[in-house]
Amino acid sequence: MDRKRLAILGFLFVFLVVLVFIFFKTGVREKIKPSPLVPTPESMELPAKPGAKIEVVLFFLSEKDTYLHSEKREIDAGVSVVRQAKQAVEELLKGSQLGYISPFPPETKLRELHVTRGGVAYVDFSKDIVEEHLSGSSAEISTIYSVVNSLAYNFDSIKRVFILIEGREKETLGGHISLSKPFLPLYDLIAK
Amino acid sequence: MNKELLSQKKKSVLIGGIALFLLLSNFSLPQSQSFLNISVKDHPKLSRIIVESSFPLSFEIEKRPSDVRIIIRTDTSFLIQKEPFESSVIRSFGWRRGRDYYILTFNIIPGRFSYDYFTLDNPPQLIIDLSPLSEKKEELLPEPTIVPPLSRTERPSAPSREIKTVVIDPGHGGLWPGAMGKSGTLEKDITLAISLKLAAVIQRNLALRVVLTRDKDVDVSLENRAAIANNNKADIFISIHANSSYQKDARGPETYFLSLEATDEEARKLAYLENNPTQPEEGIAGGNQDEIQMILWDMAQTAYLKQSSELAESIQNELNLLLRTRNRGIRQAPFTVLAGVACAAVLVEVAFLSNPREERRLLNEDFQNDAAKAIYDGLVSYLERNS
Ligand SMILES: [Zn+2]
Repeated sequence: MDRKRLAILGFLFVFLVVLVFIFFKTGVREKIKPSPLVPTPESMELPAKPGAKIEVVLFFLSEKDTYLHSEKREIDAGVSVVRQAKQAVEELLKGSQLGYISPFPPETKLRELHVTRGGVAYVDFSKDIVEEHLSGSSAEISTIYSVVNSLAYNFDSIKRVFILIEGREKETLGGHISLSKPFLPLYDLIAK
Repeated sequence: MNKELLSQKKKSVLIGGIALFLLLSNFSLPQSQSFLNISVKDHPKLSRIIVESSFPLSFEIEKRPSDVRIIIRTDTSFLIQKEPFESSVIRSFGWRRGRDYYILTFNIIPGRFSYDYFTLDNPPQLIIDLSPLSEKKEELLPEPTIVPPLSRTERPSAPSREIKTVVIDPGHGGLWPGAMGKSGTLEKDITLAISLKLAAVIQRNLALRVVLTRDKDVDVSLENRAAIANNNKADIFISIHANSSYQKDARGPETYFLSLEATDEEARKLAYLENNPTQPEEGIAGGNQDEIQMILWDMAQTAYLKQSSELAESIQNELNLLLRTRNRGIRQAPFTVLAGVACAAVLVEVAFLSNPREERRLLNEDFQNDAAKAIYDGLVSYLERNS
């Protein structure tokens, strides 16, 4: 008796769930799913042998001049450009293995990274990147272009980079350079 | 038979349980505090609508000639919060609730727009960008190759206007301290001290009007600093800062002028503007410093990059003499405060607060006077070359 009731209740829930799905997933007009909108790069098939590696070039500061210096790093070939780009930024945040200087506050974490069809990478950092930032012009320029150049240089499907903090737009990192539009790479900043 | 029935029942209970869990996890949260936060921001070349929700939602978007509609199918009732906005594209916002949906309507100005949208996850946001498609701009920009090449002397190089007004911009201020030295010196205090000294030395020695974007410890937005310069018909704009770097040994002065993102389109505009220098005809009317006006001035600095680089060079030479440092030199970066300024404009980083030795010097009043004098000397040598 009790079990029967439970069964009925169970079916009722299933029915409800289906109903909810119908509510949310139908629509004939142009529709946006709540999931990240990354149609091209995410679904881009990459030759992913298990354990395969690719080489990326990351840009760090050096003590000897004002330029960004390149450092090669191996990352997993992964299954998509987005995964690769995420790894690249995570490696960048880990810092240099060749003694270069990391232009990020040490606590900074990568929260999310999406790439749109239009080739804009949305890179979402934890609030540490602002709260712990040195805030001088040189520091701000090197933080921004370490990320922007590293992504644009390695991934053809990334043309511009939009920096978000805690998932939202932020005015600036330290009061100098607006984050309100995506950045093109600035390769003049790289050491020759 | 009986056994089978039992296991089926078990299964259904299990599924029911999972469904209940899903229902709870999905819908208990919204009941407490469901909101939609609507904001609109104008950026150069586009207007952006941001709809932030307290939990992920499915949207449908309809773009019509006079509005953009967002349809949200939901039974949940939302608190709809609208941040006040002024936009050159979006005239007004309204919303309506039906039995199982919300319609958000953004009325837009007439004209053709390209629109793009994307979503972000955490917090959930729907972002719609509207960019006016202007055919006018294309007419304004003939292929650079059509312009007959002018000889060096014939070239209408500098907008050779009489230099009357200098705007000095002490970086940061108020809630925005800028960089901080190891012993706690704040950039905003140093920039103000040096700027006031620079203003005084110019006023003592030159027949120029001097305007400061701030003369006390207050917030001024980057856009408004540029607007103050344009409103006052500035002929020279000097933004004063103190630097910091992740390099331990960074030291010495740097002078910046604006870098341009070298897209093909902008390179074309630049080539065009260099051959057709424009001057601010009227300034911005009546001290109006709002952002909408500023957008019209977005490309203002591109016409003055040559003068700005000359001004940067003159100032950097003098600062190098003062600080006797190896030349960190003249650099370019996309400083927001410079982008909207319609005259020769530079950003001076006097020295590094992140370097303890330079922090001490920056705090020293004699050094502040010397720095102001060096920038003044740089300005004078620029004026001599351009008169
Ligand atoms: Zn500054």
